[in-house]
This record gives sequence, C-alpha cells and structure tokens, in this order.
Amino acid sequence: MKDIFFNLSVRSVRLNFMRSLLASIGIVIGVVAISSMGMLGTNMQLQVKDQLSSGADTIVISADAVRMGPTGSSSSSSSSATGITKTQLNKIKLAVGTTNKLVPIYSTNTQFTLASTPGRSTVYGLNPDDITKFLTISNGTNIEGINDALVGSTFATNFNLKIGNRIRIGKDTDASRPVLRIVGILAPRGMSSDNVNTDNAIIVSDDWYTNQYGGKDIYRQVNVIVKDISTIPDVESVIDAKLNTNPKTPVVRISDASSRLSGITSSLSSITTFILAIGGISLLVAATSIFNVMMMSVNERIQEIGILLSIGTEKGEVRRMFLYEAVILGILGAGIGGISSLVIGYSVVSYMIGTTKYFFLPESIMYIPMGMTIGLVVCIISGLYPAWKASNMDPIDALRSE
Amino acid sequence: MIDTPLIRFADVSKVYHLESGDFTALDHISLEIEDNEFIAIMGPSGSGKSTMMNQLGILDVPTSGELFISGRDVAKMTALERTHMRRDTIGYIFQNFYLIPLLSAYENVEYPLILKYKKRDESGKASAMLKAVGFDEAMSAHRPTQLSGGQQQRVAIARALVNDPKILLCDEPTGNLDRKTGFQIMDILCGLHSEGKTVIIVTHDPKIAEYANRTITLEDGRIAA
Repeated sequence: MKDIFFNLSVRSVRLNFMRSLLASIGIVIGVVAISSMGMLGTNMQLQVKDQLSSGADTIVISADAVRMGPTGSSSSSSSSATGITKTQLNKIKLAVGTTNKLVPIYSTNTQFTLASTPGRSTVYGLNPDDITKFLTISNGTNIEGINDALVGSTFATNFNLKIGNRIRIGKDTDASRPVLRIVGILAPRGMSSDNVNTDNAIIVSDDWYTNQYGGKDIYRQVNVIVKDISTIPDVESVIDAKLNTNPKTPVVRISDASSRLSGITSSLSSITTFILAIGGISLLVAATSIFNVMMMSVNERIQEIGILLSIGTEKGEVRRMFLYEAVILGILGAGIGGISSLVIGYSVVSYMIGTTKYFFLPESIMYIPMGMTIGLVVCIISGLYPAWKASNMDPIDALRSE
Repeated sequence: MIDTPLIRFADVSKVYHLESGDFTALDHISLEIEDNEFIAIMGPSGSGKSTMMNQLGILDVPTSGELFISGRDVAKMTALERTHMRRDTIGYIFQNFYLIPLLSAYENVEYPLILKYKKRDESGKASAMLKAVGFDEAMSAHRPTQLSGGQQQRVAIARALVNDPKILLCDEPTGNLDRKTGFQIMDILCGLHSEGKTVIIVTHDPKIAEYANRTITLEDGRIAA
C-alpha cells in the first residue's frame, strides 16, 4: 500500500527540492568523509599487516639492553649489553630443536664509499648458509668468498649498483678500508617484522664481519624461523625458561611478528578512529542542517498540520509524516554519499596508499554501508524533535497561523 | 429509553488565562441540540462563536461544565478518542476551506477515508462524493491552488462528508465566496440536512441564518437569544 503520509512527505521534499537537496549534501559529505577515512585507515592497516607478516614465522631473540645482569655473574646467565653470547646461542639451539631454523645475526652501522660517493648503512653479518633460509637473492649469487657481499634492492637502485661493483667500507680517516665485491642483489623485503631490514643494507659473511668489527660470537640478534607458526608460543616459552632463569631480571628479549604486529596495528587503528571522528564532525554539521530544514518544513506547514489534526489525523500519523521526510532526506544523502564514497574512497586509497588491492575486502568496503547507515540514523535523529513538535501542536493555534 | 440529545452543553464555561487577565469566552452555556437540527450561531466578533465551534469540533475542552456529544463527555475522553470522534462523527467546513495544499482535490476527499480505514479508497466513495458536489474526474486531479473559492469549498464539503458524520460544523462557509456561490453552497448544506445530517453553521449573515431552523445568538459568551 502506498502510504498517504509518505506521499505527503515526498511531495513536500519535491516542493522544496533545492532546500532538501542542499541539506542532503551535508549528509553526502558526512557519509563520504566517514567511509573514505575508514577505508583509508583500514587499507593502510591491511597493507602494513601484509608487509609485516612476511616474517610471521620468525621469533626474534635479542639481548635485553636495559638489564645487564648482576655484577660478577657468569656470562652464561646474563647477557652483555652488546648481544647474545655463544652459550646463550647453544641454549637456544637446544630449546628450538632441529625442526626449526636458527639464524644468528651480527649487525652494525657503517660508513662506506662507492666510487667517490660516501654513504652510511646497516651491515648484517650472516653465515652464507643462513642467508637463503630467509632472504631471496633476485640477482647474482650468494656470498662465497670472504670479500663477497650482497646489497638490498633500494641500496642497489639508489647507487645504481651492478654485480661486480665494489664498496669501500669505513670512514675516510680509517687506516684500513677493506673493499667488498657485490655478488648479489636481494629482492625487496619492505618493512620486515623480523628486524632484518635489508632493502637499504649490506650483507656480508659472518667471518668478514667478525674480522672487521670483532665481537665474535656476540650476536646482535638470533632469529628462529619456526616450521609451524602455531608452535611459536611453545618455542618462545621454552627459550624463555632456558635463558631467563630469573623472571625479575630477564637477559634476553623474545618477540615475534604477532606481538609487534598487534602493536603497530593497534596504533594504526587508533589513527583510523581519530580520522573517523573527524569524518563524524562533518556528519554533526549535516545533522544541524537537516534539523534546520526539518524545522523550516514544520514551521512553514503549521496551518497544514492544524488542518490534519482538526480533521482527525492522529498525532502518531503527523509524527510519521515528518519522520518520513527525514528518512527521504537521509536516503537521498546516504545513497548519493554511498556512490560517491565508492568513487572518492577508491581514488583516495589509490592515491595515498598506492594500491587498491585491499579496497574491496569486506573489512574495507564495509565502511560504505556503515557510513550510509550512520548518515541515515543521523537524519532520523535530527528529524525526531521537529516531528514531535509538529504532532504536539495545538490544532486551534495551528489553524490560526498564517 | 430516555432520548439523549446529540449535543448537550451543561453549564459550559471556557476561560482563557491571558497575561492581561482571565478572559471568559463562554460563560455558563447550557444548550441542547437534537439530531437532524439545522442551527445557525450568530453574534458579533468576540461573542464566543469560534470558541463554541472549537468545543463542538472537540478541538478544545471546557474549563468547567460538561459537554456531551453522542452521549459522551468529551473532557473524559482520551486525546486519541477525541481524534477518532473528530474523524468519524464530525465533519468540519471552514471559512478558508483549509484543504491540504500538497494533495489533489480527489486525495483531499480520500484523506479522511485513509485515516479511518488505514488504506487507499477502493470503494469509490471519494469519487462519488466529489461527483455529488459537482466535480468531474478532470477537476478532481487539480490541486487546491488551481481551484476557485467555490470549487475549494465544494471539495471541503465532500471531504467533511466522506466518512458519513452525524454532525456538520460549518464555520462561515460562505464567508469567502461571492453571493451566488454562497447560496449554491447553502443549497448543498440544506440538501444534506434534509438527508438527516445535523448542520451547525456560524455566520454573520442573517440571509444565511434564514436557512436554519433555529438561531442561537451569542453575546459576551452567553446565549442572548
């Protein structure tokens, strides 16, 4: 059945089309703001999550730099501030067993000169056999000779490096400045969750590293690459039990991608909430404009309301008529807003994040119906008071008004 | 069985509390109106005619005394019951026609039927009623602003009659019409009276009052004659 009150509302909106449309544009802006901001935040989270989850199977063990261990205690129970000791490494080996891979890693920062250009980057010292356990060489070969080195993809691009190029390590003032020969270039890794960010780094063999920098068997970190991700908590607790014998003074810090991931995603989700709130403010402005239009509609139609009430229209029916009007404005605004969100959101995500591969995932696209619903609800709430006011008018006063 | 009048004012007063002091619009009115009477209410401006019409149309309730319509004390009815009585028992015809501007002539007449039956009219009653007041189908599609004063008042009469009310309240129904059209409207009202309706008409015009069987003259809120 076509409801006559709905008909009246449609005609009223049509009669004041421009005013209604302008009020709806407020809702459109609000819906677009909420949807686009929400989608932008979610796409950002999804991308970061994806990038970080490349090291999801890795447990990172590093020395607890804050706690040096009790003075005079043996190195087996406490770490020096510089890294994981050989004794600790052996304990880790025992704890993780043979199914999981162990990668001890040296690392430091260094200056270097490439041709005549000076630079600074991270140097990772790795057993050449460990390199292929978690890194991909996209071009060239693995380290074979003592002076061989690999470089990250960004590093290679920035310096326009080719296989066979040479890097001179150390400051200009250093007495000895060894030369490394680039034998391979690594595939891009992005921001990796295993604390090994190779894109801008130089990778050398562990022997070369300890010859150059000393500190043999004192590793910056030890990565454990587990075979089965679900065993991470168990492996971690075994390592913890073996190394951190005194829970009050832990000597190593054990972390994995999930704990770091949750930290980063929770920060990103806070940012998303914040930008959503900014979008929400625009809806608040829209609500005021809808309220204003509804009040205008009620005030212009006082006499009509008087007629309706005097010939036997129930209060609820008058209320319904004005609520329909709010719903029509809401549907108009939310509808246009939804379509605009799709277009604008897609453009914003594509421009800001550089990829739209997460855009149509449910957790991202759901912001459009969510934004539309919020827009519609805001409209209805804005129409509540005007509708209540209309239905509670005194018919005699309403009829008298001009 | 005791024959109860259709309308009974029992010592009804209506007092408005204004900033300048209390104003008594109706002062201890007692009056009975029987079924199928044709009554004219006359009196100068401010005599209480409109207040009396508002009481009869149950748009307002007495400050003191009792008003019975169809045997029911209106002051004891709920707001919803009063709304339903306005819809079902009373047909209101106004000086300014008061048609709903957003609806066509047909929809204006159909409107009370929708209020009562909660659905669009399929019985043809609205069309029949418009036909009875001299409206054809083409004219029925017009909005009130596209109609002359006389045409609008005919639509208003059709709207007032469509739910078959017992009482027709007419507040200066010819006040905004030329003399000829005014008499045409009065002829329609006379016809309705002869069909059994109770017609109560407020007018300034003695010629119009002549149509009535009984004239009630108000002065300062009291019945003068």
